[in-house]
Amino acid sequence: MSAPTVKYHCPCGNADNVRTPPPPHLPSSAYSFHDLHELFFCEECDAVRCNRCVSVEVSGYYCPNCLFEVPSASVRAEKNRCARSCFMCPNCLNTLQLVSSDPPDPGDGRLSIPVGTVGESPFFLYCNHCRWDSTDVNITFEKATGLAAQLQKFEDAAPDTLEFDRLKEYFEPVLRASGATSSAVPSSAANSHHLHSTSITAAASAALARDIPGVSKYNPLGRSTRGKDKSSKKDDVPEYKTRLDVSTAYAAGGEQDVEFMRHLEEDRDVATLEQRWGASWASPVQASELRPLRVPLHSKRSKRCPQCTHILIKPEQKAQTVRYKIKLLAVNYLPNISLSLPHRQTAPPTDRRSLTKSTTGEDDDEANKAMQAGLTYPFHIAIKNPMYDPIQIRLSPQRMHVPQVTSDKEKGRRPPFAISLPTTSFQVAAFADEWGYDDEEDDELDYLDDDDIGHRPKKEREKPKAKTVGVLEKKGNVTVIGGEVVLGKEARGNVKFNMLVKYQYKLPEDQGDSPSKKPVVKDFEFYTVVDLGPVVAKEERRIDDF
Amino acid sequence: MDLNDDTPVYYSKAEFIETDTGNKVSRRATIAGPQNIILGGKTIIVSQAIIRGDLRRSGAGHTVVISLGRYCLVQEYCVLRPPYKTYRGQFNYYPMKIGNCVHIGANSIVEAASVGDHVQIGKNCVIGKFAIIKDCAKIADGTIIPPNTVVPAMAEFEGSPGRFVRDLPESRSEIVESFTKKYYSRFQMLEPARR
Repeated sequence: MSAPTVKYHCPCGNADNVRTPPPPHLPSSAYSFHDLHELFFCEECDAVRCNRCVSVEVSGYYCPNCLFEVPSASVRAEKNRCARSCFMCPNCLNTLQLVSSDPPDPGDGRLSIPVGTVGESPFFLYCNHCRWDSTDVNITFEKATGLAAQLQKFEDAAPDTLEFDRLKEYFEPVLRASGATSSAVPSSAANSHHLHSTSITAAASAALARDIPGVSKYNPLGRSTRGKDKSSKKDDVPEYKTRLDVSTAYAAGGEQDVEFMRHLEEDRDVATLEQRWGASWASPVQASELRPLRVPLHSKRSKRCPQCTHILIKPEQKAQTVRYKIKLLAVNYLPNISLSLPHRQTAPPTDRRSLTKSTTGEDDDEANKAMQAGLTYPFHIAIKNPMYDPIQIRLSPQRMHVPQVTSDKEKGRRPPFAISLPTTSFQVAAFADEWGYDDEEDDELDYLDDDDIGHRPKKEREKPKAKTVGVLEKKGNVTVIGGEVVLGKEARGNVKFNMLVKYQYKLPEDQGDSPSKKPVVKDFEFYTVVDLGPVVAKEERRIDDF
Repeated sequence: MDLNDDTPVYYSKAEFIETDTGNKVSRRATIAGPQNIILGGKTIIVSQAIIRGDLRRSGAGHTVVISLGRYCLVQEYCVLRPPYKTYRGQFNYYPMKIGNCVHIGANSIVEAASVGDHVQIGKNCVIGKFAIIKDCAKIADGTIIPPNTVVPAMAEFEGSPGRFVRDLPESRSEIVESFTKKYYSRFQMLEPARR
């Protein structure tokens, strides 16, 4: 069941000068809306930023298994993988464990007790999950430490490693040449840290375009001018001779594979795509030949505002700490809006046996909770102010200008629904520490300056005693307002609408800057998309009831 | 995890014992060896959960077998059991430490060596022996974490065997903390009079 949700709009996907979000009902619009806690806030630009638009920098590497922090200098030399003793099972991709051999049998039929702390050599790698062990591929270790170093000589001698080293050697002069030109010519790429990789890809794609006809028109760099002049210079790049011929390099090609497939009895003998994905070009077809891989490193990242390049997220150096030196989250700046549908709320259980059963809050009878077409439903919007200043807030649902013109007839006949929300602005009190609320509460209710809008007799035909549209409750830094949705007879699907949230707050007076007593009033606005949940047709509902 | 969910979760007064520090423990939970278990305060253990504090290190004296921090929740049919191994021919149990604001979903079995702060473990999970789960990690529902696995901080693990699927947002610790605190306040006693 999806509870009514509110998502926040990040304007990064829009063209400049367009502030309005895309229409809510399009599936593609989901990419412009985010949960509040995933958003950042740039104080310099006074704008919301999301993970899609921030620029990301790696601030540190670590191995996710041994949690060793790898200095960035050695990351490349170690090929982005853990160079200590962490390996992944080639079969299930779990991390492998080092185990020792059984101690020599003393001969009296009893288990001998190992004396050393580490056990007997030879050691081998063992998977706790699928029971794969490295003796299957003839990998054993003499010592229990520095496993990757012990395997290093095999890795270095592998034909793919040699080929890769050769490729690197070959591209090095090309890179150096292109590096010189790109530093001279201002690049079209905005981010300087992309330069290095683009010059590699440019050189590689130039070589590819030359060798394979037709590739050049798919050149991803063709868009930029830089890509163009790279391909014009392609003749400067000398021809690359592979170390081994492709047809002979991979010993178990062609005939041998066919033979293996012919005698195949179980499909698990063939290595799956997932198992082969992380390996190099010489990944074996047979699952029994897969070799363990060193664990790929993870990174800690800092994030910057794409516009002003101020840091939004800066983690602390230590890999496993969850603290941040800088953390500018939208949660601390934008009011937190949450929704509830009163008709969905369950009454407290009266005499149920196991009361704790309903702990998860999920409910089985979803049909009861869906809204019926043709009816009017109230909904509550709770707004929580995270700031230390009270805010004056105004909500306005965005009208759906165009009834969607889709070829799909089902959707085409879906008529819109009407949303009514209080039209005047209302106040949400400032955030204070928990203890501050108790004494505030009572006084506050007395002087609710904007409470009058709630008293307006507005659509009170269903429950005359309770107002549905207006400010319902104020408590601490939370204000609950009521809204109403009128569903058309033919309403289907989810009730989704965009809502503009505008608010004002008074900045605390600066000491020297403002000699006039008038405090600075700041405006801010953002869009949200509100999803009130699904609507069912009346007829369907009746069937459900019986 | 719905942060805005305000619906109370009711329990009956007769079933739960509330300690001075606000721990709420169901009488129908199996708490073996309670003298070896530490609850940090405001921790909820619901009915049918099993906590094996009796599986202690051999040797005389008082030892802590399982410690839980503040604002933890152990759901129905969970089993918390200290990990064991034979080291130098000596069989032994090893203590399990669980941090603050940790929720463990229904039917999950935990034999981890340590679980950090703000960790969420879903329902129907198996956390293998000596697993180490770092702060703010999340174990999705139905995940199998094999023995000796390390789950790094801020990572979400899923599947069988559990594998890294994504990094969690930077606001994770705040989200989990407010969620667990809210859950504790939502976990309300239903007076017998209201029946």
